[in-house]
Amino acid sequence: MTAKHPTEPAVSEAGRNAAQECAAIEADLERLKNIVNDAAGRLLGSFHEFARLEQKTSRNLEERQRIDSAIGSAVTALQFQDMATQLTHHAQRRLAALEICLRALYGPSSGAEPLERSQTPPQAEMSSGSVELF
Amino acid sequence: MQSILAVDDSASMRQMVSFTLKGAGYNVIEAADGQEALDKARGETVDLVLTDQNMPRMDGITLVQNLRSMATYAATPILILTTESSAELKAKGKAAGATGWLVKPFDPSTLLNVVRRVIR
Repeated sequence: MTAKHPTEPAVSEAGRNAAQECAAIEADLERLKNIVNDAAGRLLGSFHEFARLEQKTSRNLEERQRIDSAIGSAVTALQFQDMATQLTHHAQRRLAALEICLRALYGPSSGAEPLERSQTPPQAEMSSGSVELF
Repeated sequence: MQSILAVDDSASMRQMVSFTLKGAGYNVIEAADGQEALDKARGETVDLVLTDQNMPRMDGITLVQNLRSMATYAATPILILTTESSAELKAKGKAAGATGWLVKPFDPSTLLNVVRRVIR
């Protein structure tokens, strides 16, 4: 018994659908970026307000050290917006490149220019990064 | 007071860098990309440059190359703070004249230790 191969129109239809899915995911990622940016803006506003008010509060040494440590951790964590935005942008570029390939193979040209090949993915861990002095 | 030029296209990153450095007593000048940083560096001399790599208009390594071609910045410490961690890009940064390479996210106390170590 021979395996049944999909017909050419079915393959083309699947390819066009895949290209549309890529476009939809790109749009979702754009919405995700907007959500992250909005959340980060609010968090940063609250952080600066807290830090400003905290400077006026007298604390004993142990409390001061604990608060300074917490603020330091917050400074590291609040860098998530930049990192999330870069990773999302990276994924969008990959999807856009894939979408162009799929449209070239299976559907009418999108008219878009091929995108530059993606490079090494940026840092994705929220623990602090490495340091190297030359 | 020593001045540091902090360069990043992300406003939140500039805020975190400025918060950390100002808290330690440094004067911080901000720029949103390499070109703006270069313009500001031409206007006034700073004691250290801390720059992102991936930015519109001019990236960090190009900024380093431009600054190193200026007599006033021939010996100024320049640190690159970026999400990029590939050995290839680090080598390009070193060849351009960068003083060091820090991968985001930064820990405030680590950043301050590095700044204190390299600033003159």
